[in-house]
Amino acid sequence: MNVLLRLANFFSPLTHYIAYILAYFFETLFMLIFITISLVAVIYIFRKYMARLQVRRGPNRVGKFGIFQMIADMMKLVQKESILPKKRDDLPYKVAPVVVMLGLFLGFALMPYGSFYYIGSLTVTHSSVSLVLLIAVIAIMPIGEILAGISSHNKYAMVGALRAVAKDVSFEVPMMITILALVMMASGQTSSPLNIDSIASSSRAFIAYGLVQPIGLGVFMISMIARASYSPFDLGESDSELVSGHSTEYTGMRFGIFYVGLFGSIFLGSMMVSTLYLGAYNGPFSGDVGFIYLVIKTWILVLISFTIWLSMPRIRIDKFVNFGWKYLLPASVINLILAGILTLGWSL
Amino acid sequence: MTEAEERQKWVDLNMGPQHPSTHGVLRLKVKLDGEIVKELEPVIGYLHRNAEKICELDYYCDSIIYFDRMDYVAAMNMEVGYLEAAEKLLGIPPPERVQWIRVIMAELSRVASHLVWTGAFGLDLGMLTPFFYAFIEREKILKIFTEVSGSRQEVNYMSIGGVYQDFNEKIVQEINEFCDQFPKKLEDMYDLFTKNDIFISRNKGIGVLPKEVALDYAVTGPMLRASGVPYDVRKAEPYLVYDKVNFDIPVSQKGDNLARFLVRFEEMRQSIKIVKQAISKLPEGPFFNPKAKKSLMIRLRGEGDVYARTESSKGELGVYIVGDGSVKPYRLRVRSPTLRNLSVLRYLAKDQMIADVVAISGTIDLVFGEVDR
Amino acid sequence: MISVAEILEETKGKDGRRILKVDKDNFLQLMEELKEQGFDHLSLITAVDWRDRIELVYHLHNMENDNYVVVKSDTLNNVFPSVVHLWTSADWEEREQWDMMGVWFDGHANLRRLFLPESWTGHPLRKNYDLSKVQYINMDDEGNDYATFDPGDGW
Repeated sequence: MNVLLRLANFFSPLTHYIAYILAYFFETLFMLIFITISLVAVIYIFRKYMARLQVRRGPNRVGKFGIFQMIADMMKLVQKESILPKKRDDLPYKVAPVVVMLGLFLGFALMPYGSFYYIGSLTVTHSSVSLVLLIAVIAIMPIGEILAGISSHNKYAMVGALRAVAKDVSFEVPMMITILALVMMASGQTSSPLNIDSIASSSRAFIAYGLVQPIGLGVFMISMIARASYSPFDLGESDSELVSGHSTEYTGMRFGIFYVGLFGSIFLGSMMVSTLYLGAYNGPFSGDVGFIYLVIKTWILVLISFTIWLSMPRIRIDKFVNFGWKYLLPASVINLILAGILTLGWSL
Repeated sequence: MTEAEERQKWVDLNMGPQHPSTHGVLRLKVKLDGEIVKELEPVIGYLHRNAEKICELDYYCDSIIYFDRMDYVAAMNMEVGYLEAAEKLLGIPPPERVQWIRVIMAELSRVASHLVWTGAFGLDLGMLTPFFYAFIEREKILKIFTEVSGSRQEVNYMSIGGVYQDFNEKIVQEINEFCDQFPKKLEDMYDLFTKNDIFISRNKGIGVLPKEVALDYAVTGPMLRASGVPYDVRKAEPYLVYDKVNFDIPVSQKGDNLARFLVRFEEMRQSIKIVKQAISKLPEGPFFNPKAKKSLMIRLRGEGDVYARTESSKGELGVYIVGDGSVKPYRLRVRSPTLRNLSVLRYLAKDQMIADVVAISGTIDLVFGEVDR
Repeated sequence: MISVAEILEETKGKDGRRILKVDKDNFLQLMEELKEQGFDHLSLITAVDWRDRIELVYHLHNMENDNYVVVKSDTLNNVFPSVVHLWTSADWEEREQWDMMGVWFDGHANLRRLFLPESWTGHPLRKNYDLSKVQYINMDDEGNDYATFDPGDGW
């Protein structure tokens, strides 16, 4: 049983097709609600956690413990006048935030969420190649940033976009190779190694892939930090050098979307790491509370990300590119070779 | 490719006066080749108030508040610098106790200024957290300032021949408490920076300022000492009672960003050492010179010219006063250390990356009230 | 010290510093000699407006043996030789004095105003500068500042 069938059952008094249409609609709606709540929570926790590290109070005025601060901020951003630069390329300038948001939501739609008590499996998308799809959709977000950087015709934004490209190129190759190693190992366990769900559930039979491939876990985590582009790898929007990088010329809700996109990619990245490397929704009684395990693992990684963010200075772009090609790439290749040896040894 | 063609490719970038990393109103006209800064020209004057002219129009005792507003993060140091010159010109030496009080205040002010620098430098490199740790400590110093003068930053504490208010038991106790707990916090901050590999890699060997260039550009203060010249006005030409306290001058031979960072941190440690000695040696006595009572203050007349040098937190602060025998200075000239230190940025920034230029301009410790005056 | 340059007067100031008074014609020669003697640090250039003449005061410093010397000279026609070729720090110092006092330094390659915009009228530290006339600063399309007397044009 999964969430789609439950919903379809619920709407079954209507005809078959309408029931399924409504079921798909509500399934997507539930997912969007979950993502929105998660993002608001990530931003709230980030601000509280940052305040705690910096011996401050953090938001504490709107609602108890400032819990409604994010909603107030969002309302402020919506009300704000959007100041548009005169020399912009209109279409890409306006499309860029949407592209960022799109990549983020599609990424969440492809995650396997595990099961939860009565409802059963919460996974939204069932595809046998969902890993390939996921890698494809998370590559959409940088496109939005590059569009934003180039279309706003600002030199800071331009340099920010160029840096973002250089950064993306240098960590994506090692990231793909580590995923390849993962798929290689999963192919010994499951018949559809390109399906995230089966990779995740195969790590129950196996032990978590992160334990077998620690190098892969490290490379993938670093790639996810770089993907979300926060300190030490916030090269694209490095605020003390390039004002705000690609989002320099954005105001109001459009800027808000980039801001949410940053936190969204932290959450998505943490979820991907915990799904692929840390045993996903597996644990005792995971048939009933698998979803909770996933959320807990994700949140632990989110907090680790925040700690890294708040305690590290920014790395220089040329050093990061060097790091990507000279350290991450060899490490991922070594990981691939080790994974190959392990996989062959397993099947023998 | 010829040089002219090369220049065609360069992109003009205007950093500032409203830019997150320029510490106020510095404007840098930068020519970029990709990420590399090929030429850099600082444009200054956005905070120019012509303090020298304002001081010429005012009585000797009134100029102190304008000195507060020059280097607003180390106001006490500026006051000491002005009073060194003014008191020599007017012939009103401060009593013994005042001199010790001024040393304590100037050193606390130096620590506060270096703490602001520490926090801002962290921000330049993208470190958010140390900023708050530094400012929490600075707030404790500002609390002491508030206690003695009634004001946090532009203190207007010292006056010709004395200070505004004597130290009482409570202030002495507060300073002692601060000196006891601060070194540990300072070491924590130090570890937060220096045990971070990325921080070291961003600073080691970046922005190297050779000794000869530093002298040629008249660089002073921590920047000069980081370039290997062990020169400190407090030792070379002791003013107040700096010859009666025991402290070291931190020197580094490297001349890079990291050296400047380490020199400033060591200076904070030495300042605390000075404050501790001064508070234990603080003599009893009057806290102002009776020749400069409030009613007599605006009738003070000075003649001749006097130049006094002091070591402010940024470098060598010189005040040159020419008096014509009237109640106002005829000409007053301030040697602001940051202006000279900033002029060397043209040399340091050449062929560096943007990120490094931001870090280098961070290590200069710019305060625009002082650069522009 | 044996000097080729003719020193008009050698005194000690109120602060105990050695003051050398020199004629404008001999000034550059004296500065070159002082530089050779190891005065590697040009601390300060001050111009003092005595209404009939402008006095220039140079504070020189020798970092190694901590020697200090003050050189004073006069100019009647607001023109003075530049010392940029001896000390690079004189670059901004002289620009500042040109900006504030209107002393033209002969031999300075790039003598522009340091603080004020290029089109500012008058030199503020002159004693005859009219403080009652307000000048407003605005920025043109190319990002350069200019000064104007018209309050509507500035902000």
